Amino acid sequence: MSDDVAEADGSSAAETDGSSAAETNGSGTAVQDGAPGEASAVDGSGAAELTGGVAGVEADSDSDAETGAPSEGVAEEAASATTVREMRLTPTNHWVGIAAITFLTAGLGVMTRSRPLFLAAVVGVGYLAYANATEAPDPSLAVTRSIADPDPEPGDRVRVTVRVTNAGDAILPDLRVVEQIPDALAVVDGPARTATALRPGASVTFSYTVLARRGRFAFEGIDVIARNVSGSRERVLDLATAETTLTCLPPLDATDTVPLQGLTSPYTGRVSTDSAGEGVEFASLREYQHGDAISRIDWNRYARDGALATMEFREERMATVVVLVELRRQAYLQAGEDGPHVVDRSIDATRRLFNSLIATGDRVGIAALAAADVWLPPGAGPTHQAEARHLLATHPALSPTPPSERLYVPGYLKTLLSRLDDDAQVVFVSPVPDVTSAYVARALHVRDHPVTILSPDPTRTDTPGRTLAAAERSNRLASLRRSGIRVVDWESDERLAEALERARRRWSA
Amino acid sequence: MTGVEIVRRPARRSLLVSAVAGSVATSAAAVGSPAGALVCLAGTGVLVAGVATARHGLVDAGGLVAFLGVVFAAANGATAGPVVFGTAATVVAWDAGGNAVSLGRQLGSRVDSLRVELLHAVAGAVVGLTTALVGLVLFRLGPTRQPVTTLFVLLLAAVLLVVALNR
Repeated sequence: MSDDVAEADGSSAAETDGSSAAETNGSGTAVQDGAPGEASAVDGSGAAELTGGVAGVEADSDSDAETGAPSEGVAEEAASATTVREMRLTPTNHWVGIAAITFLTAGLGVMTRSRPLFLAAVVGVGYLAYANATEAPDPSLAVTRSIADPDPEPGDRVRVTVRVTNAGDAILPDLRVVEQIPDALAVVDGPARTATALRPGASVTFSYTVLARRGRFAFEGIDVIARNVSGSRERVLDLATAETTLTCLPPLDATDTVPLQGLTSPYTGRVSTDSAGEGVEFASLREYQHGDAISRIDWNRYARDGALATMEFREERMATVVVLVELRRQAYLQAGEDGPHVVDRSIDATRRLFNSLIATGDRVGIAALAAADVWLPPGAGPTHQAEARHLLATHPALSPTPPSERLYVPGYLKTLLSRLDDDAQVVFVSPVPDVTSAYVARALHVRDHPVTILSPDPTRTDTPGRTLAAAERSNRLASLRRSGIRVVDWESDERLAEALERARRRWSA
Repeated sequence: MTGVEIVRRPARRSLLVSAVAGSVATSAAAVGSPAGALVCLAGTGVLVAGVATARHGLVDAGGLVAFLGVVFAAANGATAGPVVFGTAATVVAWDAGGNAVSLGRQLGSRVDSLRVELLHAVAGAVVGLTTALVGLVLFRLGPTRQPVTTLFVLLLAAVLLVVALNR
């Protein structure tokens, strides 16, 4: 039957629009990139005209797509075969009802003795046969995907070009391809989908642009719908392609100095402590003891009353800080419809805090309040910083999509406490979405790990419900402050440095 | 941060195929009777509106009304040629419209699907024209002008269908 259709196609091209067919034929031979012998080998002699026409249109669409894709020359990889993950063969119900109308028309023709109506019914029967004659083809496709810049900076627009080739022997008269884009990426330009007809060996190229964001994303599949020529049956496939990844590492930017609490290690650093000794800031005077440095003797006092006294200064020590970032499902909140959600802000803040603490010479580690194990022990130096950068960008638990598993908080706290050094303090980055977060902060605080909460604010006050949620969160923060925990409330439209500066002024006052 | 929304309806260009086929059906009906042509035109309008708004129901209804226009023309004394070709054109318009709606719903309006749609419409038109021509030729070459002849043609077509179904 398909042969019949092809032959008939050829005759119609000659009949209905002879001039335009000739036109496409001409351009087709000029632009066509496939081997010209291939087309004539596949189709019968009767279909030569049609094939020429189709190839012409196709080559046109091919060349259009290619000129539209700037990255065509960047990565010309070999097309890789696809594997079928899932397949479904379904009727489309497109021609349902034609049979009824056909026989009604025939009946009407008999009743009114109208020969034209009879013949109209014959046409209907022809369409019935056409609708049921063919089965949806089983496409064998090869897919090449190239990413213009596989290592972009966050916020970059990245062009992705996909080339789908018909690697099988069957003509695909109606092929619809939809790219499977990783959940967290947004397409900002061009449809990541296409529809075309492919003869064996032909290919179609489409490209689109995604907005890069922190993380590692794998492009690994396409959805395909292949219909038969009449559109009565369709095959829906989920095809796995070769994996192409896009890795986006955020830059090494830091924020201003992070205000820390007084618990420190014995090593010299930049956190002013209450213990007196060597330093810059004056702390107290005490009686001279043998062996005190001459430079620290208070000579003014000696001149006044002849007594030797030693000045003491606030010692500046190195702090050990663990930045604990909240990644429980409850924390995936967003202020309004647009913009990054609060976990994205948290992770961004974690990165900035980490870099700024490293820069001021503190030992910094990273932990996440999440079911997945995220732990970078406190350390210092460029290697440690690189490790942290990689962890923050590519750890699956830190991806922008909420986790599926639940966290058992007491068990997690036990593990975390066993990992924390005795002198470690905690910067807890959390929107404090519920009492559990407050509980975690208190539990760490009472076990001698002073906690500073940096809380990105996800709340709004435009509806009564949201106002209530905002009030509840504000109460939780107030109660935490009463327990002696420092809280930085970071508004959604505020820069991190501003929020920290505001908090520092409040604490030093 | 938000990406491009997918508009789930056919591209504007997709309206063209249905509109052209619908106009052919209308002019075929006009040969028979002006009233039939009016009905056919109304049906085409509904059909095109259905494609524009991506509603299968409207497309089906429009196709049916357009076909009723052709039937009306036949009842008012249109000859076999216009009726048969009008029927084929109606089916092509409806088929192309339904196909455009399914493409629009699955892929959105920004996909350039004209090539697939044209191929689909041309295939449908070829089937309609071939059947119409075969029917007309048998009708003319038949031994007598009795309705029995047309019944025979219909029977033959049905047999073809069964053969095709059992392939």
